Amino acid sequence: MALARRGAPPGSLLPITLRRSFVAGRIYLAMGSAFSLLLAVALARARPIVFATTFPLEMPLFAVLGSLGGLIIFSGDRAKGVFEYLLAYGVRPTTIFGNGVLAALGLAATVLAVALAAGLGTYFASGGTPTADLAKSIGLYAVPMSLAGTVFSTTAGMYWASLSSPRSGFNSPLGVAPLLGVGPTVLVLVTAETAPAADFYWITVGAAAILGAAALTLVAASGRLLRSERLLSPL
Amino acid sequence: MGTPPLPEGPGEGSLQLRCRDLVAGYYGSKVLDGVSFSLSEPAIYVVLGPNGAGKTTLFRTIAGILEPSGGSVTLGGVPVGDPASQERLHFLSHVDGIPDGLRVDEALRFYARVQGADDDEVERVMERLAILPLRHSFLSQLSAGQRKRVSVARIFLQERDIYLLDEPTSNLDPKVAAEIRDLVLGLAREKVVLYSSHNLYEAREIGRHVLALKQGRVSFFGPIGELRSERYVLGIRTLRPSDALAGVPKRGEYYLYELPGPESVPALLRDLESKGVQVREAREMGNPLEDLFT
Repeated sequence: MALARRGAPPGSLLPITLRRSFVAGRIYLAMGSAFSLLLAVALARARPIVFATTFPLEMPLFAVLGSLGGLIIFSGDRAKGVFEYLLAYGVRPTTIFGNGVLAALGLAATVLAVALAAGLGTYFASGGTPTADLAKSIGLYAVPMSLAGTVFSTTAGMYWASLSSPRSGFNSPLGVAPLLGVGPTVLVLVTAETAPAADFYWITVGAAAILGAAALTLVAASGRLLRSERLLSPL
Repeated sequence: MGTPPLPEGPGEGSLQLRCRDLVAGYYGSKVLDGVSFSLSEPAIYVVLGPNGAGKTTLFRTIAGILEPSGGSVTLGGVPVGDPASQERLHFLSHVDGIPDGLRVDEALRFYARVQGADDDEVERVMERLAILPLRHSFLSQLSAGQRKRVSVARIFLQERDIYLLDEPTSNLDPKVAAEIRDLVLGLAREKVVLYSSHNLYEAREIGRHVLALKQGRVSFFGPIGELRSERYVLGIRTLRPSDALAGVPKRGEYYLYELPGPESVPALLRDLESKGVQVREAREMGNPLEDLFT
Protein backbone atom coordinates (compact mmCIF):
# COMPACT_ATOMS: atom_id res chain seq x y z
CA MET A 1 0.00 0.00 0.00
CA ALA A 2 1.32 3.46 -0.81
CA LEU A 3 1.97 5.43 2.31
CA ALA A 4 2.19 9.18 2.70
CA ARG A 5 5.60 10.65 3.29
CA ARG A 6 6.28 13.00 6.17
CA GLY A 7 4.38 16.26 5.79
CA ALA A 8 3.79 19.15 8.16
CA PRO A 9 5.57 19.35 11.53
CA PRO A 10 3.57 18.16 14.54
CA GLY A 11 0.79 20.55 15.45
CA SER A 12 -0.13 21.71 18.93
CA LEU A 13 -1.69 19.02 21.10
CA LEU A 14 -3.10 21.50 23.61
CA PRO A 15 -6.62 21.81 22.13
CA ILE A 16 -7.14 18.05 22.08
CA THR A 17 -5.58 17.63 25.54
CA LEU A 18 -7.93 20.31 26.86
CA ARG A 19 -10.92 18.63 25.29
CA ARG A 20 -9.98 15.22 26.62
CA SER A 21 -9.47 16.72 30.08
CA PHE A 22 -12.98 18.16 29.99
CA VAL A 23 -14.37 14.74 29.03
CA ALA A 24 -12.30 12.78 31.57
CA GLY A 25 -12.87 15.26 34.39
CA ARG A 26 -16.48 16.14 33.66
CA ILE A 27 -17.75 14.76 36.95
CA TYR A 28 -15.30 16.87 38.96
CA LEU A 29 -16.04 19.86 36.74
CA ALA A 30 -19.74 19.42 37.45
CA MET A 31 -19.12 18.99 41.17
CA GLY A 32 -16.96 22.12 41.39
CA SER A 33 -19.53 24.15 39.49
CA ALA A 34 -22.47 22.73 41.48
CA PHE A 35 -20.85 23.43 44.86
CA SER A 36 -20.18 27.02 43.84
CA LEU A 37 -23.80 27.42 42.78
CA LEU A 38 -25.02 25.99 46.09
CA LEU A 39 -22.78 28.34 48.07
CA ALA A 40 -23.90 31.30 45.98
CA VAL A 41 -27.53 30.49 46.74
CA ALA A 42 -26.77 29.95 50.43
CA LEU A 43 -25.05 33.34 50.71
CA ALA A 44 -27.50 35.20 48.52
CA ARG A 45 -29.01 37.16 51.38
CA ALA A 46 -25.86 37.59 53.45
CA ARG A 47 -24.52 41.05 54.32
CA PRO A 48 -22.04 42.40 51.73
CA ILE A 49 -19.07 42.07 54.09
CA VAL A 50 -19.98 38.46 54.89
CA PHE A 51 -20.35 37.63 51.22
CA ALA A 52 -17.04 39.36 50.38
CA THR A 53 -15.13 37.44 53.05
CA THR A 54 -16.79 34.05 52.57
CA PHE A 55 -17.63 33.31 48.95
CA PRO A 56 -14.25 34.26 47.40
CA LEU A 57 -12.40 32.36 50.11
CA GLU A 58 -14.07 29.11 49.10
CA MET A 59 -13.77 29.51 45.35
CA PRO A 60 -10.28 27.93 45.20
CA LEU A 61 -11.72 24.73 46.68
CA PHE A 62 -14.16 24.41 43.79
CA ALA A 63 -11.56 25.36 41.19
CA VAL A 64 -9.03 22.76 42.37
CA LEU A 65 -11.74 20.12 42.49
CA GLY A 66 -12.90 21.00 38.98
CA SER A 67 -9.37 20.88 37.57
CA LEU A 68 -8.76 17.19 38.29
CA GLY A 69 -9.42 16.22 34.66
CA GLY A 70 -5.96 17.46 33.70
CA LEU A 71 -4.31 15.11 36.14
CA ILE A 72 -6.61 12.23 35.21
CA ILE A 73 -5.51 12.53 31.59
CA PHE A 74 -1.83 12.81 32.54
CA SER A 75 -1.95 9.77 34.82
CA GLY A 76 -3.91 7.68 32.32
CA ASP A 77 -1.78 8.65 29.33
CA ARG A 78 1.40 7.68 31.13
CA ALA A 79 0.04 4.29 32.18
CA LYS A 80 -1.38 3.52 28.74
CA GLY A 81 1.77 4.37 26.82
CA VAL A 82 0.47 7.53 25.13
CA PHE A 83 3.49 9.49 26.36
CA GLU A 84 5.80 6.79 25.09
CA TYR A 85 4.23 7.25 21.69
CA LEU A 86 4.50 11.04 21.85
CA LEU A 87 8.15 10.94 22.92
CA ALA A 88 9.02 8.58 20.07
CA TYR A 89 7.61 11.12 17.62
CA GLY A 90 9.62 14.01 18.97
CA VAL A 91 7.25 15.59 21.51
CA ARG A 92 9.32 16.90 24.42
CA PRO A 93 8.60 16.00 28.07
CA THR A 94 8.23 19.69 28.91
CA THR A 95 5.51 20.02 26.26
CA ILE A 96 3.64 17.04 27.73
CA PHE A 97 3.95 18.55 31.19
CA GLY A 98 2.93 22.02 30.03
CA ASN A 99 -0.13 20.69 28.21
CA GLY A 100 -1.26 18.94 31.40
CA VAL A 101 -0.91 22.07 33.49
CA LEU A 102 -2.64 24.26 30.91
CA ALA A 103 -5.50 21.77 30.59
CA ALA A 104 -5.98 21.82 34.37
CA LEU A 105 -5.92 25.61 34.31
CA GLY A 106 -8.57 25.60 31.59
CA LEU A 107 -10.81 23.46 33.75
CA ALA A 108 -10.18 25.63 36.83
CA ALA A 109 -10.93 28.77 34.82
CA THR A 110 -14.23 27.24 33.73
CA VAL A 111 -15.25 26.57 37.33
CA LEU A 112 -14.09 30.05 38.31
CA ALA A 113 -16.19 31.57 35.56
CA VAL A 114 -19.24 29.58 36.64
CA ALA A 115 -18.65 30.44 40.30
CA LEU A 116 -18.17 34.15 39.62
CA ALA A 117 -21.21 34.32 37.37
CA ALA A 118 -23.35 32.41 39.86
CA GLY A 119 -22.02 34.09 42.98
CA LEU A 120 -22.00 37.65 41.74
CA GLY A 121 -25.24 37.17 39.81
CA THR A 122 -27.05 35.92 42.88
CA TYR A 123 -25.44 38.59 45.07
CA PHE A 124 -26.46 41.47 42.83
CA ALA A 125 -29.87 39.99 42.12
CA SER A 126 -30.46 39.87 45.86
CA GLY A 127 -29.73 43.58 46.20
CA GLY A 128 -26.01 43.45 46.93
CA THR A 129 -23.83 46.30 45.76
CA PRO A 130 -20.25 46.33 44.44
CA THR A 131 -17.75 46.99 47.19
CA ALA A 132 -13.99 47.41 47.39
CA ASP A 133 -13.79 44.48 49.80
CA LEU A 134 -15.50 42.20 47.31
CA ALA A 135 -13.28 43.33 44.43
CA LYS A 136 -10.13 42.84 46.53
CA SER A 137 -11.23 39.40 47.76
CA ILE A 138 -11.84 38.20 44.26
CA GLY A 139 -9.00 39.95 42.45
CA LEU A 140 -6.26 39.52 45.04
CA TYR A 141 -7.22 36.19 46.53
CA ALA A 142 -9.89 34.05 44.85
CA VAL A 143 -8.57 34.14 41.29
CA PRO A 144 -4.81 33.93 41.99
CA MET A 145 -5.29 31.36 44.77
CA SER A 146 -7.49 29.21 42.52
CA LEU A 147 -4.97 29.25 39.69
CA ALA A 148 -1.95 28.76 41.97
CA GLY A 149 -3.70 25.93 43.83
CA THR A 150 -4.53 24.27 40.54
CA VAL A 151 -0.97 24.53 39.21
CA PHE A 152 0.46 23.37 42.53
CA SER A 153 -1.79 20.34 42.91
CA THR A 154 -1.54 19.35 39.24
CA THR A 155 2.24 19.67 39.15
CA ALA A 156 2.72 17.79 42.41
CA GLY A 157 0.28 15.14 41.18
CA MET A 158 2.23 14.76 37.94
CA TYR A 159 5.49 14.30 39.83
CA TRP A 160 3.77 11.76 42.03
CA ALA A 161 2.31 9.96 39.03
CA SER A 162 5.66 9.85 37.27
CA LEU A 163 7.34 8.30 40.29
CA SER A 164 4.82 5.59 41.00
CA SER A 165 3.00 2.63 39.56
CA PRO A 166 -0.69 3.04 38.83
CA ARG A 167 -2.72 2.57 41.99
CA SER A 168 -6.07 3.65 43.24
CA GLY A 169 -7.01 5.37 46.47
CA PHE A 170 -4.78 7.66 48.48
CA ASN A 171 -1.63 6.12 47.02
CA SER A 172 -2.61 7.44 43.62
CA PRO A 173 -1.88 10.97 42.46
CA LEU A 174 -5.60 11.48 42.08
CA GLY A 175 -6.00 10.77 45.77
CA VAL A 176 -3.17 13.04 46.86
CA ALA A 177 -3.40 15.97 44.49
CA PRO A 178 -6.75 17.39 45.67
CA LEU A 179 -5.49 17.32 49.25
CA LEU A 180 -2.40 19.26 48.21
CA GLY A 181 -4.52 21.71 46.31
CA VAL A 182 -7.24 22.35 48.87
CA GLY A 183 -4.99 22.12 51.93
CA PRO A 184 -3.64 25.68 51.68
CA THR A 185 -7.13 27.02 50.98
CA VAL A 186 -8.56 25.30 54.04
CA LEU A 187 -5.68 26.65 56.09
CA VAL A 188 -6.45 30.16 54.88
CA LEU A 189 -10.14 29.69 55.67
CA VAL A 190 -9.39 28.65 59.24
CA THR A 191 -6.72 31.31 59.79
CA ALA A 192 -8.78 34.13 58.31
CA GLU A 193 -11.71 33.08 60.46
CA THR A 194 -9.75 33.23 63.71
CA ALA A 195 -7.35 36.12 62.97
CA PRO A 196 -8.22 39.78 63.59
CA ALA A 197 -10.20 41.35 60.73
CA ALA A 198 -7.39 43.79 60.07
CA ASP A 199 -5.12 40.89 59.08
CA PHE A 200 -7.58 39.39 56.61
CA TYR A 201 -5.94 40.73 53.46
CA TRP A 202 -2.40 40.05 54.65
CA ILE A 203 -3.32 36.44 55.26
CA THR A 204 -5.19 35.87 52.03
CA VAL A 205 -2.88 37.75 49.68
CA GLY A 206 0.18 36.32 51.43
CA ALA A 207 -1.15 32.77 51.08
CA ALA A 208 -1.88 33.29 47.38
CA ALA A 209 1.62 34.68 46.85
CA ILE A 210 3.32 31.82 48.72
CA LEU A 211 1.33 29.14 46.90
CA GLY A 212 1.95 30.88 43.59
CA ALA A 213 5.69 30.91 44.27
CA ALA A 214 5.62 27.23 45.23
CA ALA A 215 3.71 26.37 42.06
CA LEU A 216 6.12 28.35 39.88
CA THR A 217 9.08 26.62 41.55
CA LEU A 218 7.60 23.21 40.73
CA VAL A 219 6.94 24.28 37.14
CA ALA A 220 10.49 25.61 36.79
CA ALA A 221 11.91 22.30 38.03
CA SER A 222 9.85 20.24 35.60
CA GLY A 223 12.54 20.11 32.89
CA ARG A 224 15.01 18.54 35.33
CA LEU A 225 12.62 16.29 37.24
CA LEU A 226 10.35 14.99 34.50
CA ARG A 227 12.80 13.14 32.30
CA SER A 228 11.61 10.87 29.49
CA GLU A 229 12.06 7.67 31.46
CA ARG A 230 9.65 8.93 34.12
CA LEU A 231 6.93 9.22 31.50
CA LEU A 232 7.14 5.61 30.32
CA SER A 233 4.37 3.17 31.03
CA PRO A 234 5.12 0.98 34.04
CA LEU A 235 2.98 -1.79 32.51
CA MET B 1 43.69 -2.58 18.82
CA GLY B 2 40.73 -2.09 16.48
CA THR B 3 37.04 -2.24 17.39
CA PRO B 4 35.72 -5.80 17.02
CA PRO B 5 33.41 -6.26 14.02
CA LEU B 6 29.66 -5.96 14.64
CA PRO B 7 27.34 -8.84 13.93
CA GLU B 8 26.16 -7.72 10.51
CA GLY B 9 22.88 -8.22 8.73
CA PRO B 10 23.09 -8.35 4.95
CA GLY B 11 23.20 -5.10 2.97
CA GLU B 12 24.45 -1.65 3.86
CA GLY B 13 23.23 1.86 3.10
CA SER B 14 21.48 4.95 4.40
CA LEU B 15 18.90 2.67 6.04
CA GLN B 16 21.58 1.20 8.23
CA LEU B 17 20.61 0.86 11.87
CA ARG B 18 23.71 0.36 13.95
CA CYS B 19 23.99 -0.33 17.67
CA ARG B 20 27.50 -0.34 19.04
CA ASP B 21 28.24 -1.44 22.62
CA LEU B 22 24.86 -0.07 23.62
CA VAL B 23 24.21 0.28 27.35
CA ALA B 24 20.79 1.49 28.48
CA GLY B 25 18.32 1.09 31.33
CA TYR B 26 16.23 2.91 33.87
CA TYR B 27 17.25 5.13 36.77
CA GLY B 28 20.89 4.11 36.51
CA SER B 29 20.33 0.36 36.18
CA LYS B 30 21.59 -1.55 33.14
CA VAL B 31 19.06 -3.52 31.11
CA LEU B 32 21.06 -3.54 27.90
CA ASP B 33 24.72 -4.17 28.53
CA GLY B 34 26.87 -3.98 25.43
CA VAL B 35 24.42 -4.67 22.60
CA SER B 36 26.00 -4.51 19.16
CA PHE B 37 24.48 -5.25 15.78
CA SER B 38 24.01 -3.63 12.44
CA LEU B 39 21.28 -4.12 9.85
CA SER B 40 19.88 -2.42 6.81
CA GLU B 41 18.24 -4.91 4.45
CA PRO B 42 14.44 -4.54 4.27
CA ALA B 43 13.05 -7.53 6.14
CA ILE B 44 11.41 -8.56 9.38
CA TYR B 45 13.96 -8.95 12.14
CA VAL B 46 12.34 -10.86 14.97
CA VAL B 47 13.61 -9.75 18.36
CA LEU B 48 13.38 -12.61 20.83
CA GLY B 49 14.32 -13.18 24.41
CA PRO B 50 12.90 -14.12 27.77
CA ASN B 51 11.14 -11.55 29.93
CA GLY B 52 13.62 -8.98 31.18
CA ALA B 53 16.12 -9.67 28.40
CA GLY B 54 15.84 -6.08 27.20
CA LYS B 55 13.58 -6.21 24.12
CA THR B 56 11.36 -3.29 25.11
CA THR B 57 14.35 -1.31 26.37
CA LEU B 58 16.11 -1.86 23.04
CA PHE B 59 13.05 -0.59 21.14
CA ARG B 60 12.69 2.43 23.42
CA THR B 61 16.35 3.29 22.97
CA ILE B 62 16.23 3.00 19.19
CA ALA B 63 13.06 5.12 19.22
CA GLY B 64 15.00 7.85 20.99
CA ILE B 65 12.86 7.70 24.13
CA LEU B 66 15.60 6.37 26.38
CA GLU B 67 19.03 7.91 26.24
CA PRO B 68 21.87 5.35 26.16
CA SER B 69 24.19 5.50 29.12
CA GLY B 70 26.95 3.99 26.99
CA GLY B 71 27.69 3.09 23.39
CA SER B 72 25.70 4.45 20.49
CA VAL B 73 22.73 3.86 18.22
CA THR B 74 22.70 5.49 14.81
CA LEU B 75 20.36 5.44 11.87
CA GLY B 76 22.14 6.22 8.60
CA GLY B 77 24.97 7.62 10.68
CA VAL B 78 22.72 10.01 12.63
CA PRO B 79 22.28 9.36 16.37
CA VAL B 80 18.77 8.23 17.32
CA GLY B 81 16.92 10.83 19.35
CA ASP B 82 17.98 13.43 16.80
CA PRO B 83 14.87 14.76 14.99
CA ALA B 84 16.38 13.67 11.67
CA SER B 85 16.43 10.07 12.95
CA GLN B 86 13.13 10.17 14.77
CA GLU B 87 11.23 11.18 11.67
CA ARG B 88 12.47 8.04 9.92
CA LEU B 89 11.05 5.71 12.60
CA HIS B 90 7.68 4.33 13.52
CA PHE B 91 7.30 2.94 17.03
CA LEU B 92 4.49 0.73 18.27
CA SER B 93 4.77 0.17 22.00
CA HIS B 94 3.74 -3.04 23.77
CA VAL B 95 1.03 -0.99 25.50
CA ASP B 96 -1.53 0.31 23.04
CA GLY B 97 -0.89 4.03 23.54
CA ILE B 98 -4.52 4.88 22.88
CA PRO B 99 -5.66 8.19 24.35
CA ASP B 100 -8.88 7.96 26.35
CA GLY B 101 -11.85 10.22 25.78
CA LEU B 102 -11.69 10.12 21.98
CA ARG B 103 -13.59 8.43 19.22
CA VAL B 104 -11.68 6.24 16.77
CA ASP B 105 -11.43 8.86 14.01
CA GLU B 106 -10.44 11.52 16.52
CA ALA B 107 -7.69 9.28 17.90
CA LEU B 108 -6.31 8.71 14.42
CA ARG B 109 -6.37 12.44 13.74
CA PHE B 110 -4.52 12.88 17.03
CA TYR B 111 -1.86 10.44 15.80
CA ALA B 112 -1.74 12.14 12.40
CA ARG B 113 -1.19 15.50 14.07
CA VAL B 114 1.65 14.10 16.18
CA GLN B 115 3.31 12.56 13.13
CA GLY B 116 2.69 15.55 10.91
CA ALA B 117 0.57 13.46 8.52
CA ASP B 118 -2.36 14.77 6.51
CA ASP B 119 -5.89 14.29 7.82
CA ASP B 120 -6.75 12.70 4.45
CA GLU B 121 -4.57 9.76 5.39
CA VAL B 122 -6.88 8.99 8.31
CA GLU B 123 -9.77 8.10 6.00
CA ARG B 124 -7.57 5.95 3.81
CA VAL B 125 -6.04 4.08 6.73
CA MET B 126 -9.42 3.45 8.38
CA GLU B 127 -10.61 1.90 5.14
CA ARG B 128 -7.43 -0.13 4.68
CA LEU B 129 -7.58 -1.55 8.20
CA ALA B 130 -11.33 -2.13 8.12
CA ILE B 131 -12.08 0.22 11.00
CA LEU B 132 -14.38 2.58 9.11
CA PRO B 133 -17.48 1.06 10.78
CA LEU B 134 -15.93 1.90 14.17
CA ARG B 135 -15.01 5.47 13.35
CA HIS B 136 -17.58 7.09 15.63
CA SER B 137 -17.13 4.64 18.50
CA PHE B 138 -15.40 5.74 21.66
CA LEU B 139 -12.14 3.88 22.16
CA SER B 140 -13.29 2.77 25.59
CA GLN B 141 -16.13 0.85 23.92
CA LEU B 142 -13.84 -1.25 21.73
CA SER B 143 -12.69 -4.81 22.28
CA ALA B 144 -8.98 -5.52 22.83
CA GLY B 145 -8.63 -6.62 19.22
CA GLN B 146 -10.34 -3.51 17.88
CA ARG B 147 -8.18 -1.28 20.06
CA LYS B 148 -5.06 -3.02 18.83
CA ARG B 149 -6.17 -2.51 15.25
CA VAL B 150 -6.58 1.22 15.92
CA SER B 151 -3.21 1.25 17.63
CA VAL B 152 -1.55 -0.48 14.67
CA ALA B 153 -3.31 1.85 12.21
CA ARG B 154 -1.11 4.75 13.26
CA ILE B 155 2.00 3.24 11.68
CA PHE B 156 0.23 3.28 8.34
CA LEU B 157 -0.55 6.99 8.43
CA GLN B 158 2.83 7.77 7.01
CA GLU B 159 5.68 6.03 5.29
CA ARG B 160 8.89 5.74 7.28
CA ASP B 161 12.05 3.71 6.93
CA ILE B 162 12.26 1.70 10.16
CA TYR B 163 9.35 0.12 12.02
CA LEU B 164 9.76 -0.85 15.68
CA LEU B 165 6.87 -3.13 16.61
CA ASP B 166 6.91 -4.32 20.21
CA GLU B 167 4.63 -7.35 20.57
CA PRO B 168 2.02 -6.12 18.09
CA THR B 169 -0.03 -9.31 18.28
CA SER B 170 0.06 -10.03 22.00
CA ASN B 171 -3.31 -10.86 23.62
CA LEU B 172 -5.08 -11.00 20.27
CA ASP B 173 -7.26 -13.72 18.88
CA PRO B 174 -5.67 -15.71 16.02
CA LYS B 175 -7.74 -14.01 13.32
CA VAL B 176 -6.78 -10.45 14.25
CA ALA B 177 -3.19 -11.52 14.88
CA ALA B 178 -3.03 -13.04 11.40
CA GLU B 179 -4.43 -9.85 9.85
CA ILE B 180 -1.80 -7.76 11.59
CA ARG B 181 0.96 -10.16 10.55
CA ASP B 182 -0.18 -9.83 6.93
CA LEU B 183 0.03 -6.06 7.14
CA VAL B 184 3.51 -6.25 8.62
CA LEU B 185 4.64 -8.73 5.98
CA GLY B 186 3.51 -6.24 3.33
CA LEU B 187 5.57 -3.52 4.97
CA ALA B 188 8.72 -5.60 5.14
CA ARG B 189 9.06 -5.77 1.37
CA GLU B 190 10.54 -2.29 1.41
CA LYS B 191 11.13 -1.46 5.06
CA VAL B 192 13.19 -2.61 7.98
CA VAL B 193 10.86 -4.04 10.62
CA LEU B 194 12.02 -4.97 14.11
CA TYR B 195 9.32 -7.18 15.56
CA SER B 196 9.31 -8.57 19.08
CA SER B 197 7.16 -11.51 20.01
CA HIS B 198 6.85 -14.25 22.59
CA ASN B 199 5.15 -16.48 20.05
CA LEU B 200 7.90 -18.61 18.56
CA TYR B 201 5.69 -20.05 15.86
CA GLU B 202 4.70 -16.58 14.76
CA ALA B 203 8.35 -15.54 14.82
CA ARG B 204 9.32 -18.48 12.65
CA GLU B 205 6.45 -17.80 10.26
CA ILE B 206 7.19 -14.16 9.53
CA GLY B 207 10.81 -13.49 10.42
CA ARG B 208 13.72 -13.75 8.06
CA HIS B 209 16.31 -12.82 10.68
CA VAL B 210 16.46 -13.30 14.42
CA LEU B 211 18.00 -10.97 16.96
CA ALA B 212 18.02 -12.83 20.25
CA LEU B 213 18.72 -11.07 23.52
CA LYS B 214 19.74 -12.71 26.73
CA GLN B 215 20.50 -10.81 29.92
CA GLY B 216 20.91 -7.57 28.01
CA ARG B 217 23.27 -8.90 25.35
CA VAL B 218 22.90 -10.27 21.83
CA SER B 219 23.01 -14.06 22.04
CA PHE B 220 22.27 -14.67 18.36
CA PHE B 221 21.86 -12.51 15.29
CA GLY B 222 21.41 -14.05 11.90
CA PRO B 223 19.01 -15.67 9.45
CA ILE B 224 16.40 -17.93 11.02
CA GLY B 225 17.46 -20.66 8.58
CA GLU B 226 20.83 -20.84 10.28
CA LEU B 227 19.28 -21.82 13.58
CA ARG B 228 19.47 -25.49 14.30
CA SER B 229 17.77 -27.00 17.27
CA GLU B 230 20.01 -28.82 19.72
CA ARG B 231 17.22 -31.36 20.06
CA TYR B 232 15.37 -32.74 17.07
CA VAL B 233 11.99 -34.02 18.17
CA LEU B 234 9.76 -35.93 15.77
CA GLY B 235 6.06 -36.47 16.46
CA ILE B 236 4.43 -39.64 15.15
CA ARG B 237 0.66 -39.98 14.80
CA THR B 238 -0.64 -43.49 14.11
CA LEU B 239 -3.73 -44.87 12.45
CA ARG B 240 -4.48 -47.09 15.44
CA PRO B 241 -2.94 -47.80 18.88
CA SER B 242 0.02 -50.14 18.96
CA ASP B 243 1.67 -52.06 21.80
CA ALA B 244 5.01 -51.31 20.15
CA LEU B 245 4.64 -47.70 21.29
CA ALA B 246 4.16 -48.47 24.98
CA GLY B 247 6.33 -46.22 27.10
CA VAL B 248 6.96 -43.66 24.34
CA PRO B 249 6.21 -40.15 25.65
CA LYS B 250 3.22 -38.37 24.08
CA ARG B 251 2.12 -34.80 23.41
CA GLY B 252 -1.54 -34.80 22.37
CA GLU B 253 -1.95 -37.44 19.67
CA TYR B 254 1.77 -37.48 18.87
CA TYR B 255 4.35 -39.96 20.13
CA LEU B 256 7.62 -38.10 20.62
CA TYR B 257 11.01 -39.35 19.44
CA GLU B 258 14.19 -37.39 20.10
CA LEU B 259 16.59 -37.97 17.22
CA PRO B 260 20.10 -36.75 16.34
CA GLY B 261 18.67 -34.91 13.32
CA PRO B 262 16.31 -35.10 10.32
CA GLU B 263 18.59 -37.61 8.63
CA SER B 264 17.52 -40.20 11.23
CA VAL B 265 13.82 -40.01 10.32
CA PRO B 266 13.75 -42.65 7.52
CA ALA B 267 15.43 -45.21 9.77
CA LEU B 268 12.92 -44.56 12.56
CA LEU B 269 9.99 -44.93 10.17
CA ARG B 270 11.37 -48.20 8.83
CA ASP B 271 11.82 -49.47 12.37
CA LEU B 272 8.26 -48.58 13.32
CA GLU B 273 6.91 -50.19 10.17
CA SER B 274 8.82 -53.39 10.94
CA LYS B 275 7.08 -53.45 14.34
CA GLY B 276 3.66 -53.16 12.72
CA VAL B 277 3.03 -49.52 13.60
CA GLN B 278 0.88 -47.82 10.96
CA VAL B 279 2.16 -44.26 10.73
CA ARG B 280 -0.40 -41.68 9.67
CA GLU B 281 1.73 -38.55 10.06
CA ALA B 282 5.27 -37.58 11.07
CA ARG B 283 6.13 -33.97 11.92
CA GLU B 284 8.88 -31.98 13.50
CA MET B 285 7.70 -30.96 16.98
CA GLY B 286 10.51 -28.74 18.20
CA ASN B 287 11.10 -25.12 17.27
CA PRO B 288 14.77 -24.13 17.08
CA LEU B 289 13.81 -20.72 18.44
CA GLU B 290 13.01 -22.39 21.76
CA ASP B 291 16.73 -22.90 22.31
CA LEU B 292 17.19 -19.14 22.40
CA PHE B 293 15.20 -19.05 25.62
CA THR B 294 17.24 -21.67 27.44
